[in-house]
Amino acid sequence: MDIDEFFKRPTPLFILILLIVILLAKFLRLETTDYLITIMFFIGIAMALNIIMGFAGYVSFGHTVFLGISGYVFALLVYYNRDLANLMNMYSGIPIFFIALLAGGVSALVAFLVGIPVLKLKGAFFAIATIGLDFAALYIIKAFIPILNPEFFGAQIILPAYALAYKDNVFVAMYITFALIIIANYLIRRSRFGMGLLAISEDEDAAEALGVPTTKYKLISFALSAFFTGMLGAVFGLNSGGVDENLFNLAHTIDMIVMIVIGGIGTVMGPLVGSIIYFILYDTLLVTYPEFNLVILGFIVAVIVLFAPRGVVGILRGKQFMGKKLRDIIE
Amino acid sequence: MDEKEIIKIHNVTKRFGGLVALDKVTFNIYKGEILGIIGPNGAGKTTLFNCITGVYRPDDGKIFFNGLDITGKPPHRITQLGIVKTHQIVKPFNEFTVLENAMIGALFGRRAGKISKDEAREIALKNLELVGLIEKKDELASGLTLHEKKFLELARALSAEPEVILLDEALAGLNPKEVEESLDIVRMINKELGKTIVMVEHVMHAVMNVANRIVVLHFGKLLAEGSPKEVAEMPEVITAYLGDKDLALKFVKR
Repeated sequence: MDIDEFFKRPTPLFILILLIVILLAKFLRLETTDYLITIMFFIGIAMALNIIMGFAGYVSFGHTVFLGISGYVFALLVYYNRDLANLMNMYSGIPIFFIALLAGGVSALVAFLVGIPVLKLKGAFFAIATIGLDFAALYIIKAFIPILNPEFFGAQIILPAYALAYKDNVFVAMYITFALIIIANYLIRRSRFGMGLLAISEDEDAAEALGVPTTKYKLISFALSAFFTGMLGAVFGLNSGGVDENLFNLAHTIDMIVMIVIGGIGTVMGPLVGSIIYFILYDTLLVTYPEFNLVILGFIVAVIVLFAPRGVVGILRGKQFMGKKLRDIIE
Repeated sequence: MDEKEIIKIHNVTKRFGGLVALDKVTFNIYKGEILGIIGPNGAGKTTLFNCITGVYRPDDGKIFFNGLDITGKPPHRITQLGIVKTHQIVKPFNEFTVLENAMIGALFGRRAGKISKDEAREIALKNLELVGLIEKKDELASGLTLHEKKFLELARALSAEPEVILLDEALAGLNPKEVEESLDIVRMINKELGKTIVMVEHVMHAVMNVANRIVVLHFGKLLAEGSPKEVAEMPEVITAYLGDKDLALKFVKR
């Protein structure tokens, strides 16, 4: 892509600014490292789910299962491999990123194998099947972890001191993962693969009839989505100093879905904007009204969905700006 | 029209539970012709289309395309080989613009993977021009009328650069003027672009007019095959489908 085109389009520019702002906030100490890691995690999971839900139109309701699977894989890897754990603090956060890649790969593999039968289902049935996957994985891990090591308390793994990383290193790993996810989203959206996925979400039979290899595309997008979600789960687990069954909590999926829907489905800008709005609201309300934060948040979300069913960005897409249709610019 | 067969349908049988939708159907489709497939409701016309395009797998029999056995291949493979179908109930990608709809056809059609986005755009524009939708290229497909959506189906199918186009009741629901317009385009696609066209149609006078050859299906069986005039005069066809011999001849004359 040539440089001129790059700056004419707001999405890559927005991504670039976002990445720079986070770096600045880190180095100028405008926000705590923990806060930045958390906001990247939130935006990241929305963008990761976006690949299957936003583009292909398949609402993976049990998507949090991949946070869980990769979180546990990562925790077990560094728990049992002291060399790997020691490596984490060398070369800033790069080794963490590579271990997260491995953990994400396990999720991608699970998604691929489960996807072969499950992606034949549509709509609510697909959503329910993925919830089933979430519970199945949770109970397998609950049964498996105590056998593996009686020292673990239930399904919880608390990472020992040698398996922890410095916050700055976790930040670096999270930052690279985060950048990878949003850039991948943008590249997919602009590619032939992305157009095929969007065609699938519009009308799967018509897409297949026009030559889109729907089965293959759905599988790839599900596996990619699981891969990125898994990487985030791994880094998040490290940041929390351990993993427990809460990683499998469906509330995480609801967060992801709400962020995508507020922003606008089928775009890159939508979930980006949606997750930033959602996170800021969530965080502010949690501090100011700790008792009512979810009630108020729920109300705001309901209002947005009621008046802007295609999200904030979805509304903008229909409008004209300086004589040009905004839809042409916001991809 | 040369007499070289492009699609061979051999002994194709398709059952749905106890219902035999297609019963040992055998016939050829020749390169460059316009073939009309007619028959009463439930005769198996759409099932036959779905077997050719891979949506259904025949229980028995084989289908060959240019000598290649395509029985049971997935629909997207068959599209990429060069057979494209338009849908009886139009299926536009509503949130896509008209141009993007046609581009999907080009990007995933016969030259899938070997074509750049710019080339795909060129092909899409050319075909939108052909069906007369060029002025609407930047509008969302959801805003088109039924008539325009049918043309969009055709432009999308053409953009896949197929050898054979299957039209599944492309004329249903159109007014007489729109039917005439559509027929002109069908003839042009056949003559000037050299595409083989197979049409399932209920608008009798239209199909009798435009087709070189007619195949009649009845309860899943091949009842008759021949020129429109021959078919319309066959007594079994008249009793099975047209009901009244005089009415049938009137259709042919129109």
